[in-house]
Amino acid sequence: MKELTTDHISQQFNNELEALRQHFLTMGGVVESQVQDAVQALLDSNGSLAEDVKDQDTTVNQLDGLIDEECRRILAKRQPAASDLRMILSISKAVSELERIGDEAKKIANLTLNLVSEGESPRGYVEINRIGQMVSKMVHDALDAYARLDIELAVKVAKQDRTVDQEYNTAMRSLVTYMMEDPRSISRVINVIWVLRSLERIGDHARHTCQHLIFMIKGVDVRHVSLNDLTADYKPK
Amino acid sequence: MSNVKTHSIDISSMQRSQQALRIEDEKVCLSVNNLHLYYGDKAALKGVNMVIPEKKVTAFIGPSGCGKSTLLRCFNRMNDLVDTCRITGEINLHDENIYAKGTDVAELRRRVGMVFQKPNPFPKSIYENVAYGLRIQGINKKRLLDETVEWALRSAALWDEVKDRLHESALGMSGGQQQRLVIARTVAVKPEVLLLDEPASALDPISTLKIEELIHELKNEFTIAIVTHNMQQAARVSDYTAFMYLGDLVEFGDTNTLFTNPDKQQTEDYITGRYG
Repeated sequence: MKELTTDHISQQFNNELEALRQHFLTMGGVVESQVQDAVQALLDSNGSLAEDVKDQDTTVNQLDGLIDEECRRILAKRQPAASDLRMILSISKAVSELERIGDEAKKIANLTLNLVSEGESPRGYVEINRIGQMVSKMVHDALDAYARLDIELAVKVAKQDRTVDQEYNTAMRSLVTYMMEDPRSISRVINVIWVLRSLERIGDHARHTCQHLIFMIKGVDVRHVSLNDLTADYKPK
Repeated sequence: MSNVKTHSIDISSMQRSQQALRIEDEKVCLSVNNLHLYYGDKAALKGVNMVIPEKKVTAFIGPSGCGKSTLLRCFNRMNDLVDTCRITGEINLHDENIYAKGTDVAELRRRVGMVFQKPNPFPKSIYENVAYGLRIQGINKKRLLDETVEWALRSAALWDEVKDRLHESALGMSGGQQQRLVIARTVAVKPEVLLLDEPASALDPISTLKIEELIHELKNEFTIAIVTHNMQQAARVSDYTAFMYLGDLVEFGDTNTLFTNPDKQQTEDYITGRYG
């Protein structure tokens, strides 16, 4: 596949697509650090870092609106076709995934503030650390795949979502067992469970982002293809 | 519980309307076999193979000089009028080779009508313009002429605009009306195929949309092949699209697929406005 945002006869169109791509990657960068910071703030019981994560949400929402507007304008003015059209559609969907990742990070930050004021949960931090690392890397790699149009990486990231789901289920089982043994801890452990749930959702959104990228590069809709059947070699361009 | 709503949504029929058309499923109207065309020494078409499906709109796109108008003109042997033009290969209209010896070219051109870029009404009344082809065929019965003229003008979505001034000169009409009049004149002799060579490129956007809407209506009765420089127009009006480049047919297929996910890099570059 050729470079997406170059080679058009209209330089203006190149510029518009390149700006769109840059804004998308910028937003990705903000969201990525939001996720990392949210997990870190929780592990360190760092209330002020959690507040920072919440503040970033405004930036993410503004970028979301901006990118949406750019997509609309390009569609109306340029009537893009083929790979250009797929790029617009793919980014316009992926941007919603990023926005939701940001929302989940914000939820984690709120839960962190709860835990800071109510006292730490007796359990669950090891799991949060492990799953947090995994989904942070997924978000990072998904954006990397977008930046380099790397379909193999996109497939790899999407498949990692399965491991996240397994880890999440294991963690849930052990936390439920713990709560049954010590009902006094329930309200604090519940906060941790919600954090895990948010991390698991972030993994899903990272997977969706990669699926949108596969559509952009190959023109194949893989949103409802089982992860087992996902491959990098759809009809080569 | 009687207030439970059951949703029976027929998704498969929604999906069917989005499915790519397959040329194998179509009835063949025109088939082109290994068609080469030379103007003097210069090859303008280099071995084109394709079929034009019946009662569908097939659009030809490609840069200037790629051979799309030349190919369109082959379908009713307009190229016979060019002295230096030489053709090999064959074109079959419903299994009859139109380049076979003894083909009645005048009859062929009745069966395969053509409309050009610039509207070319005759300096006669609106009525006589439409009746012209019929009169040439020797039809002079007033009632039959009246009926056919009205039918043709209705088919061309022009009747309501001109019914009160049928006997005024056609030259007093607007460009868009003139182009629809020419289409009415073409369909009046009940051709099987309509060839449209840039039919809307001299018209304003609203007249262009009227022509496009008309094309959509006309495909119920006629097989239509259209050459256009306006890619969005091709995307809007056609069922199948052929992309040509330097005398070769590069890609031919379902319009929806060609404009969202073309097979060939050359097609991709052309429809996205990149250097070909």
